[in-house]
Amino acid sequence: MGDYVWFHDVSWHASYAVYFFVIGILAGLSFISYGSWRTPALRPLREKAAYGSFLLLGVGGLLLIGDLSQPLRFLNILNPAYLNLTSPLAWGALNIVAFGIASVVYILALRKGNEKNGQLLALITALLALGLPIYTGFDLTVHQSRPVWNTPIMPVLFVALAIASGSAVGALLAAGNAEAQKVLREYMLWSAGAVAVMLVSIMGTTNYGGSAAELTFMIMTTGSMGLLFIGVGFLAGSVAPAVMLFAPMGRSPSVVLVSALLILAGSAALRYVLLMAPQQIQTLY
Amino acid sequence: MSEGSKVSTGGGKRRYAMVVDTRRCIGCMACQVACKAEYDTPLGVNRTWVPYKVVGKYPNVKKQFLPRLCNHCEDPPCVRNCPVEATFRVEDGGFVLQRYERCIGCRSCMAACPYNARFMLPSHRTYTPITNVVDKCTFCFHRVTQNLVPACVQTCIGRSRVFGDLNDPNSEVSYLVAKNATQVLRPEEGTKPHVFYIGADRNATEFGRDAYQKREVMEPERSAFKNHFKI
Amino acid sequence: MEMPKVTRRTFLKVSAGSGAAAAAAPRLLTAMENDLGGKDFGPVSGAERKAIPVNCHVCNIQDGAIAYVENDRVVKLEGNPEHVSTRGRLCAKGNSGMWYSYDPDRILYPLKRVGARGEGKWKRITWDEALAELTEKLDAALKEDPNTIMLKYGRNRTGGSIDRFMKTLGSATVVNHTSVCESSKKIGMEPTWGPDIETPDFANAKYVLNFGSNVLEASYFHNPLSQRVTEGRVDNQMKIVTFDVRLSNTAGFSDEWIPVFPATDGAVALAIGHVILREDLQDSDFINNWTNVTVAELKEHYKQYTPEWAAKISGVPVATIERIAREFATTKPATLFTYRGPAKHLYGSYNEKACMMLPIMTGNVEKKGGYCLPRGMGWPQPMPEPGKPAHDSVLAHPPEYPLAAHKVSHLVPFWIAEGRQKINVYFTYQDNPVYTNPGSMAVWGKLFKDEKLIPYLVSMSPFMGEETALADLILPDCPYLERWEPESMPNSLWPWLGIRQPVHKSLGESRENRVLLRDIIHNLDPDGKRGMKQFWDFKDGEDYMRHHFDNVPGLKEAGGLDFLKKHGVWPIYGKLDPKTGKVSDKTGREIKADYGLYLKELSAADMAGATVDGKGIISKNGKAIGVRREGKNCVGFPTGNRLINVRVDQWADYGFNPMPTFKRIPWHEAMKEDELILSTFKLNVHKQSRTAAVKWLAEIAHSNPAWMNPETAAKLGVKTGDLVRVESAVGHLVTKAYVTEGIHPKVVSIPTGFGHWEYGRLATLKLKDKKGEYSHGADDPDLNNVWWDDKGVHPNNIIPVVADPIGGSQGWYDTVVKVTKAGPNDKYGDSEGNWEKHVAAYKETMRYAYTGDLHRKMHPEMAAWAGPDSVKHKAGGGH
Ligand SMILES: Nc1nc2c(c(=O)[nH]1)N[C@H]1C(S)=C(S)[C@@H](COP(=O)(O)OP(=O)(O)OC[C@H]3O[C@@H](n4cnc5c(=O)[nH]c(N)nc54)[C@H](O)[C@@H]3O)O[C@H]1N2
Ligand SMILES: Nc1nc2c(c(=O)[nH]1)N[C@H]1C(S)=C(S)[C@@H](COP(=O)(O)OP(=O)(O)OC[C@H]3O[C@@H](n4cnc5c(=O)[nH]c(N)nc54)[C@H](O)[C@@H]3O)O[C@H]1N2
Ligand code: SF4
Ligand code: SF4
Ligand code: SF4
Ligand code: SF4
Ligand code: SF4
Ligand SMILES: [Mo]
Repeated sequence: MGDYVWFHDVSWHASYAVYFFVIGILAGLSFISYGSWRTPALRPLREKAAYGSFLLLGVGGLLLIGDLSQPLRFLNILNPAYLNLTSPLAWGALNIVAFGIASVVYILALRKGNEKNGQLLALITALLALGLPIYTGFDLTVHQSRPVWNTPIMPVLFVALAIASGSAVGALLAAGNAEAQKVLREYMLWSAGAVAVMLVSIMGTTNYGGSAAELTFMIMTTGSMGLLFIGVGFLAGSVAPAVMLFAPMGRSPSVVLVSALLILAGSAALRYVLLMAPQQIQTLY
Repeated sequence: MSEGSKVSTGGGKRRYAMVVDTRRCIGCMACQVACKAEYDTPLGVNRTWVPYKVVGKYPNVKKQFLPRLCNHCEDPPCVRNCPVEATFRVEDGGFVLQRYERCIGCRSCMAACPYNARFMLPSHRTYTPITNVVDKCTFCFHRVTQNLVPACVQTCIGRSRVFGDLNDPNSEVSYLVAKNATQVLRPEEGTKPHVFYIGADRNATEFGRDAYQKREVMEPERSAFKNHFKI
Repeated sequence: MEMPKVTRRTFLKVSAGSGAAAAAAPRLLTAMENDLGGKDFGPVSGAERKAIPVNCHVCNIQDGAIAYVENDRVVKLEGNPEHVSTRGRLCAKGNSGMWYSYDPDRILYPLKRVGARGEGKWKRITWDEALAELTEKLDAALKEDPNTIMLKYGRNRTGGSIDRFMKTLGSATVVNHTSVCESSKKIGMEPTWGPDIETPDFANAKYVLNFGSNVLEASYFHNPLSQRVTEGRVDNQMKIVTFDVRLSNTAGFSDEWIPVFPATDGAVALAIGHVILREDLQDSDFINNWTNVTVAELKEHYKQYTPEWAAKISGVPVATIERIAREFATTKPATLFTYRGPAKHLYGSYNEKACMMLPIMTGNVEKKGGYCLPRGMGWPQPMPEPGKPAHDSVLAHPPEYPLAAHKVSHLVPFWIAEGRQKINVYFTYQDNPVYTNPGSMAVWGKLFKDEKLIPYLVSMSPFMGEETALADLILPDCPYLERWEPESMPNSLWPWLGIRQPVHKSLGESRENRVLLRDIIHNLDPDGKRGMKQFWDFKDGEDYMRHHFDNVPGLKEAGGLDFLKKHGVWPIYGKLDPKTGKVSDKTGREIKADYGLYLKELSAADMAGATVDGKGIISKNGKAIGVRREGKNCVGFPTGNRLINVRVDQWADYGFNPMPTFKRIPWHEAMKEDELILSTFKLNVHKQSRTAAVKWLAEIAHSNPAWMNPETAAKLGVKTGDLVRVESAVGHLVTKAYVTEGIHPKVVSIPTGFGHWEYGRLATLKLKDKKGEYSHGADDPDLNNVWWDDKGVHPNNIIPVVADPIGGSQGWYDTVVKVTKAGPNDKYGDSEGNWEKHVAAYKETMRYAYTGDLHRKMHPEMAAWAGPDSVKHKAGGGH
């Protein structure tokens, strides 16, 4: 129309958000599995969480590889001659591989009933799992010119989201187990609360972050993105479960289950918006 | 890229740069099309593009063009972010280039570039077999190493684009940079761009409060574009 | 791997020069700059590509180019660095010229219509079948009257073969497209100083007045002149003032954009002249010596054109007119440029004349940095040549327009419909009136669909343009990269000759025009008995070219056609300096132009037998050949009396004002408050009807909303993107609004080149359609990446014909329209024109012709004129 206008494709499409979501749950499950060594109430979830986490690693790995435009070249990333250690993606790849190996060893130990090594392996696996939300957060943070992404809070937020969504899945898996749910309720409560607090600070720095950030704020808070971010992600997916779980009725199993569902929906929406919204303005520049 | 290109020549190192004199840019788009032809660049993506702004109020109105391309940054975040060194900086010359055969297509470099200079090559192209990897302006490495100027510079009708070695004090680019106030895009990103503008209006190059104001004129086009790319 | 292997050695080799130069600082010691072209390497293969010099013909500016070929495919075009005008550069359109050859919908085989006209059903036939059928039609037509064979051409760069063809057939019914192009500019200029165009020396000017030329996007001569405009503006601090009804890129680049009310440039120019003369800022010596009027006469004549008068008509403030007059007259050197803006109106010739008076009265003519004569070159035609047809054609030389030397092509359909001349066979060549003319589909579409009026329609075209889609027979000509053609254009201050040559074998069975025309003649006259074949006695295109070029003095010694095949252009004035982008001579200095052509002295041989009259006019054999001034025998200007004719006596013969004047368009004066003027314009990346199928250009611009001022939009209650209905006296259309500060509030402007209903699948955005029977090109996978979904709306259906009674030109920018917000039944893309209403417009415009009843009314100052009958006996003008 009337003007020559140049648009640019976004770098990452929605499938990458799905990957983030999966990675988050995977890490959260890993934490639970490790937690079961320290908190007896979680014991029934130990194997389920470990298997679930490993299974999701497969899913996440496929998603990640499938998102590459040259999926068959994914091995390049593990080629030591090519490795570029200034790239969070390179670290991420090492982290994923290490996590995969640790998971396998851990699962083998579980199957052998090797109690002694089990706890150590669970710890190692959980630590490596912790790296995953951190690296995905960093993966965004390092993009210096993107509002929202380029904030130090990203890795922390991703860890909190991992705990929240992992615990939510745990709570669903532990349906009927009041003991486990009690612990998971705590995890969910504090992580969802933390997410909500972080979102507030993100919104603040974004709205007062200069024009690019401001427009990103506008995109994130209005229209369908706004519905997803404020409505689903912030209010329904973080504030509401935190409040519900905090309230006296929060201990009832049905509230825990509802909160878990809300947290899952919210954390999916948040990942989508956090990934897509900051890329929108760039398509115009 | 052959390993040879990574060889530094020590003292004789060159630093290529482009000067874009916006006072001379007539917005003819020759550069953009010449670049498309040079590389068989597919539709929807561009190594260089020339956006413009209509500024002022009737009847005091002007048109400002701002040719854009990769800045061949001295400190390129795209290179820093590539997990497999598929994008890299050539020491001698300062080119930031792609190893197409190595690129896994993770698009980290696209996300990292503050200038949107990178794009994913679609799977359809007229005759060039390289597809589905990230591409960008190469500063016409294959021409410059044959002692030719880049294609966009060569055809520039306004002679707005000038190319040369900034390390050679006698080159036209050195002279232009020395004698004129120059601007680079988004200096706050610390990328040290090597495309220098003369007479670029800060309103067009920097994020003003309205920099991203959705121009209604773009909207139908933008939604067509977004539909096509499924954004 | 895809990048060239760069070895340490090649890379170091490049550095050798700069290392040495770096030691010394002064700018005189130049660095080793990279070359500005002349060779090319594949980015993937790294291999050097084959270079073939050609001449661009995407538009009519004719820039020198080089085609680079890899695997027998033209992959790149660039400017020919040896070309003095082009200096190694091409515009966006020139850079994408290979897509003419590789258009997936290109026609590569002769086609015969099978369905009804325009139904789109075709049958591929052989050349023998095609020529046999055509021969039969031509035979019959020739028996009746050769003039029933008509040929209308648009972009004819055949170097004479079209004319030769029609003369061979003995038909005078040859019509060009110039009346929809710029003819009134030509007619404004030709009787005054000879040539039909000026060469403004932008690079050396200090001040430029630009009236309605969009030189930075279109115009003659976009690429070469734009190069000089930026040089003048940045290197020479020249000031440029542009008059336009909207903010073209040229206006947007200028120091001042002055929005004028449409068609009133003439009034502004006259008022500027008034101020110059009133304040005695004119160059009296130049006027008295080199024009056919005196300063006193001029002062007297210009008294009437006050700035107050012009301001009221044009909306340009008095103070602005006065300031510009003083600036223009006192800044030396200054130049002026116009193109279609002032000329494409009812009295466009007057407007042009008024504008060109300014450099004349300030003595800027033929000065460095001034307003120069065009510099061109010619070439001989092959011998023998066919003679003139026996009878003239009223379509080619309508008696109502005796001064319109470039014809009045856009009125032709009405004349044919009126039965003024019978047509049996109609050839169309590089001309798409069904799209490009006023009334487009409503007028020409109607004519071409009428098998009674046009019994047999032949299109010689490689593309399914809107006109070709209505043909009975299609003969596939070649796009420019596959043709042999001679070329020369006055697009810089240095004259040159150039050629087009095929860069590869013509694709499919297409035949370049001269071969195609020869084949038609050979079929008509196989044994030469009809006396036609003798004019077409050549082997192939190259052989024909030898006739043109092997005997041009100077070129002959350099090698004739062989030189041109190698270099593309002759002469070569110097080398393109990579440091400056300019052409330098052997000593490294920029080449200098010749100025003051009219002051060149006649040789003794010329003077032998010549006489000089009291006014100094030198005549020989009854023809003026020069002017004696200050004891020198100068050649003067290429006019009948070798002077600049400020007073054009020939105009007075027909009751037109011979002196600079201005006529307000009556229907603009009578405009209602809520009416606007519909204007159109060209965009830098498109070329008439023919680039919509060029993907790189279509990607940049593919739709054409109607520009309107925010003030206008507010009144209508529309914003950008909203649908508006634009209604003229002859039809209506529905398009989108584009609200911009860059347009006069009384104007709505729509660019041309969009909204095709034919011209292949990309132009019509029907990419999902199956390949038609007519489309023979190779598929381009890249077309899967087309992302836009809007092709625009073409305005010509609703633009009525207007003919300048002097220049014969179409008044493109005169249409009064009513714009409203679209209603519930209005659909984007609606476009309707009505034949009867167009006929009424045609009848109305003929009333302004010198034979019409409004002519006298428009010229009260010519009350003494004896009327049309006093001149009817004169032969129709033109050539
Ligand atoms: N890119 C491109 N270049 C071309 C061509 C092309 O199609 N595309 N075509 C070639 C051909 S054939 C020609 S004839 C030339 C034409 O070249 P130009 O004459 O330069 O171009 P146009 O767009 O026809 O008209 C020029 C300007 O006149 C303005 N105008 C309209 N009415 C008025 C008026 O009353 N007064 C003034 N002052 N301005 C007015 C329009 O807004 C427009 O900007 O271009 C040639 N070059
Ligand atoms: N509204 C409006 N209309 C305008 C103008 C305007 O300013 N406003 N400008 C006018 C001007 S300046 C001009 S000059 C006219 C031009 O109008 P036309 O002379 O009609 O020019 P084109 O549109 O270029 O003609 C294209 C036709 O030529 C054929 N063709 C294309 N390439 C080739 C080739 O290589 N070989 C052969 N043999 N045929 C080919 C195709 O069939 C195509 O349909 O348009 C005019 N139309
Ligand atoms: S897309 Fe290719 S070049 Fe870009 S970061 Fe990924 S691997 Fe590197
Ligand atoms: S402009 Fe972008 S792509 Fe080019 S070097 Fe800089 S960061 Fe990298
Ligand atoms: S330098 Fe080469 S690759 Fe870069 S924009 Fe110019 S022509 Fe394109
Ligand atoms: S070719 Fe030169 S003048 Fe034309 S748009 Fe590009 S930079 Fe500007
Ligand atoms: S102006 Fe452009 S299209 Fe026209 S001849 Fe020159 S390069 Fe070719
Ligand atoms: Mo034209």
